[in-house]
Amino acid sequence: MSDVIDELEFLQSEEGHDEKRAGLSPGSIVLLIGIVAVAAVFGVMLARQNQTQPESGAAPNFSLTTFDGTTYNLADLRGKVIVLNFWASWCGPCRVEAPDLQTTWEKYRDRDVLFLGVAYTDTETGAKAFIAEYSQTYPNGMDLGTRISEAYNIQGVPETFVIDQQGNVAQFFYARVTVDSLSAVIDRLLASG
Amino acid sequence: MKNTWIVVRGLLLACFLLVVLPAAAQNLTITDDDVNAIAKQMYCPVCENIPLDVCGTAACDQWRGEIRTQLEQGYTEEEIITDFINRFGERVVGTPQDPLLRAVSLVTPWIVGLVMLIVVVLNFTRWRKPRPVTTAPASITDDVYRDRLEADLKTRR
Repeated sequence: MSDVIDELEFLQSEEGHDEKRAGLSPGSIVLLIGIVAVAAVFGVMLARQNQTQPESGAAPNFSLTTFDGTTYNLADLRGKVIVLNFWASWCGPCRVEAPDLQTTWEKYRDRDVLFLGVAYTDTETGAKAFIAEYSQTYPNGMDLGTRISEAYNIQGVPETFVIDQQGNVAQFFYARVTVDSLSAVIDRLLASG
Repeated sequence: MKNTWIVVRGLLLACFLLVVLPAAAQNLTITDDDVNAIAKQMYCPVCENIPLDVCGTAACDQWRGEIRTQLEQGYTEEEIITDFINRFGERVVGTPQDPLLRAVSLVTPWIVGLVMLIVVVLNFTRWRKPRPVTTAPASITDDVYRDRLEADLKTRR
């Protein structure tokens, strides 16, 4: 009887043999490519979400052309304390901190300190009106192509980075700055530096 | 008489200008629809995935004002969008900022389209190709196996 069963199994295996095909079907290949592409997109998005503003280490280099036509390169500003402020004329908290920034600038402008204002996704008309309204005298310019804000991974405005004399990020302010908070950092850097 | 004729001509010219100039000015009037037709192709600079034409933030309001100004200055739709991209980056038209994501988003549709085309062509050629007749040999094989099976069963009995 077992011989018969063996024979039957032999028949079954032979019958099914012709229907099997080697390799993936075109549909499976398309599906696999789709899955890999979606996984890659989500992977990059996840990695990007984890990127935050630099709070220490070398400050990303940038080039800012101000409204008066002067171009500042961070790499050329070694030896100075740089206060890099991102703002916009449509931003409420930026209006609150604007007088404090100007006051602090006037306090330190004769020392090795440079304030740079970066207008984020702002119109030139709006930005210039803002500067005139708050009588800002430190250099300000547009973030053309949002290159500087992308390099610093800013999440909104206002955000301020204080960069030390060696070009490292010494302090990051996520919210608006005040004369006291900014002065404390600048004094510390000037004393050490 | 000559002076009267000059005055009449002056009055006619004044009337012509009074009629023509407001009409010309009306043609330059930019409506909200004109602005929104361009704004809907862009995205809010501060919100996530909110088109510019429906966004209520001050930033969007300012951008729409900028579009209106540029339309009044005679810029075309394409020129305005290009100018915004130059000033604020490709994020304004929804293109991802990350270089890799940007590349993936631009290339993937073409790759998928190409693969789909290849699959369709392969299936079409397979469908058109006449298949060899395989029914007769199969039935012969079946008979041989059936005979062998019955013979085996008979010997067992």
